[in-house]
Amino acid sequence: MTSPQVRVTPPPTSEEFELRGELPMAQQPAVPFVEIETLRTREFLPAAKEALSDWIAEEGQAKVLRPVFNWAGRNSLFPLHWGLACCAIEFAAGFGARWDAERFGVVPRSSPRQCDLMIVNGTVTWKVAHKLITLYEQMPEPKWVIAMGNCATGGGPFRTAYSVVPGVDKLVPVDVYIAGCPPRPEAMLDGILRLERLIRERKE
Amino acid sequence: MQPEDVQRALGPRLGTRLSAVEAFPGTAGRVRFLREAALDVFRAVHDDLGFLHLSLVGGVDWVDHREVFYVVWSDDAKQYLLLSTDVPANDAHVESATAVWPSANWHERETWELVDIGFDHHPDLRHLLMPDGYVFHPLLRSFKLHEPEELEVKSRHV
Repeated sequence: MTSPQVRVTPPPTSEEFELRGELPMAQQPAVPFVEIETLRTREFLPAAKEALSDWIAEEGQAKVLRPVFNWAGRNSLFPLHWGLACCAIEFAAGFGARWDAERFGVVPRSSPRQCDLMIVNGTVTWKVAHKLITLYEQMPEPKWVIAMGNCATGGGPFRTAYSVVPGVDKLVPVDVYIAGCPPRPEAMLDGILRLERLIRERKE
Repeated sequence: MQPEDVQRALGPRLGTRLSAVEAFPGTAGRVRFLREAALDVFRAVHDDLGFLHLSLVGGVDWVDHREVFYVVWSDDAKQYLLLSTDVPANDAHVESATAVWPSANWHERETWELVDIGFDHHPDLRHLLMPDGYVFHPLLRSFKLHEPEELEVKSRHV
């Protein structure tokens, strides 16, 4: 029996992603493509391993595996399940039946150890500031922060108040800002999708 | 219960330390006393008049002096009673009411941090609404709204 021909297709570039629109994985996988007949043969695994090793050695690990990790990461964003103010109501509605953020793989988790996304939904006071930083530092890398609503973005109507942090970016690095007071759940989903676009472009 | 009843009950015990008992709409009256008499007033109001529930403690900054007020409630009379005393701005402290009404604890912490009125013999006088190390007393008239950047520098404690 002859050795099976393992055909390996390199993952599409980021330009091809853009051409194919918002959710490319439904149309073509980014992982190496293998014909179904070759999967059935006994020699597939060693041959695939060899082909993959050659490919990785040729292209470099970062280039080959990074899109895979990005694909996995951006489709399973786990935000921290907490609420600071009225934006948390919209946050909760976004995970309800009508908007159902879970179809994007976004599942709120109650422990920061299980999270890679912190959605700061509400007014950040100085009293809660160090708790917010503690929670952020408890989250494992890689991690992202979304400032949801005007208060988290820049203090909102309480910007000059004696008790309010004028923008959560004074405390932790913020990746995506969502405007609104409060933003509707659609806006929150849009912010999450924009964050997914950022993660897709991630190089290291 | 009328202001005269309150005056009759408190007058003999407090003497000149009781400034006045004024009529106040919707309540049994407003007791104004010197701050040296604070604990005696609390005990008399609680034990003799039966105002067992402390509803509110607050402070007012009148610039030249500060005022501490207490709102107490009697379940028997179904009435509120206001207690109020003046303290000088440069020496603002008064005896804590926690010995009589334990629920005064958090109210007095809030009053201290917002209006800078100290409470003697308070069991745990520390910040309630603001972080530890916060340097302002924001409800004083002398407190100015800060630019966000300035406030950030002064409020950062982490």
